[in-house]
Amino acid sequence: MNEELDSQLSAMFDDELPQAECELLARRLSRDEALKARWRRYAVMGAAVRAERGVRMDVRLETNLATRVSAAISAEPALEGATVAETRARRSGGFRWWQPVSGGAIAAGVAAMSVLWVRSQAPIGSDEVVAQNPAPTAVVAQNENANAAPEGYVVPTNVEPRSFMPPAELANYMVAHSEFSTPVSRRNLLSTLVASESGTAGTTGESDGAAEVVPVEDPVENVEKAH
Amino acid sequence: MSADVSDLSLVRRVQRGDKGAFDALVLKYQHKVVKLVMRYVRNPAEAEDIAQDAFIKAYRALPQFRGDSAFYTWLYRIAINTAKNAVVSRDRSPIDFDLDLQNPDESYDMQGRLKDSETPEALTLTEEIRSTVNSAIDALPEDLRTAIVLRELEGLSYEEIADAMGCPVGTVRSRIFRAREAIDRRLREVFEGGLGRAEELG
Repeated sequence: MNEELDSQLSAMFDDELPQAECELLARRLSRDEALKARWRRYAVMGAAVRAERGVRMDVRLETNLATRVSAAISAEPALEGATVAETRARRSGGFRWWQPVSGGAIAAGVAAMSVLWVRSQAPIGSDEVVAQNPAPTAVVAQNENANAAPEGYVVPTNVEPRSFMPPAELANYMVAHSEFSTPVSRRNLLSTLVASESGTAGTTGESDGAAEVVPVEDPVENVEKAH
Repeated sequence: MSADVSDLSLVRRVQRGDKGAFDALVLKYQHKVVKLVMRYVRNPAEAEDIAQDAFIKAYRALPQFRGDSAFYTWLYRIAINTAKNAVVSRDRSPIDFDLDLQNPDESYDMQGRLKDSETPEALTLTEEIRSTVNSAIDALPEDLRTAIVLRELEGLSYEEIADAMGCPVGTVRSRIFRAREAIDRRLREVFEGGLGRAEELG
């Protein structure tokens, strides 16, 4: 046996042989039974030094684990290069059943995230603003159609800015009907009129939208009660 | 030196259809795999059967092995899964006591209690191999003994051994090779004697 070859085999067993030499020796090792037997004894040495309990160093070839595995593998089809290539091709480009499912799941996730984001961006109390915004319209309708049938004020026709509200008429109207109002509502109406006189009708001095419309709602109720 | 180069060379050969290269991988790792499986089953014969299954599974799965991890890591994972599955299926399968009455030898074999690995002859051979290797190591010159022990027992790389011993990597490689040669000369005698005795027994 070539001593240099054995030295290479020893280094290869320890994963210390350069790759180019490994390629050549691996080819020889797979075919050379004497080299394979030496390789096997190297493995036995290591197991003996480490005193691996329960592991037998079987010298009976017919029952040796490696021999049994080799016999089983010989009945298996050889792995061809095409097999490896096909496997990789299947991985990289072939149809995969979970692709459409995962695509749908991602789309649903994005949609759910969008809904949550939009909801989180809406200002606090915005629902109240939407519900109460028609109130001033009703007030305007009532004022413009003071002599019309009572049902006229419930159908908003045109949204006018609050600054066009005639405060003098409303003041007269309120004074005329104040005897039918509760003291709390009366105070609210008066403060609204005072504020509208100064050009800040309907505001309470706070910046959030919910606070802006609250005082406007009461006059409507009061007007309805008055009628 | 990058780790796992030699294993990868053998793996690539197997993937190209060279079954002989797989034999080399089995020879190299059979003891370690059996030792690993012994953590799950106590019976050495059962451990060998599981190890055999693990190697066959590894062979069938090799087309999917791309070398992203070390081969032995991949192999150990297969062995662990095989051992776990074997333990679960064994615990679920009832023992057929009728077989005990009809054919005691077969029953013992099925339960793995008295397989060949535990026969007195096999145990004696195993012990003989161990004592031969250890006595051969004791007989080595100091530098060779240190090198082979650091490699086999401590698992150090050649570079680490070179640092520890204060010598070039090439010298370490040479010392380990010469140590193995000395041990191998003694070991071959046991193997040849063991084989002769096995044939007499058979």
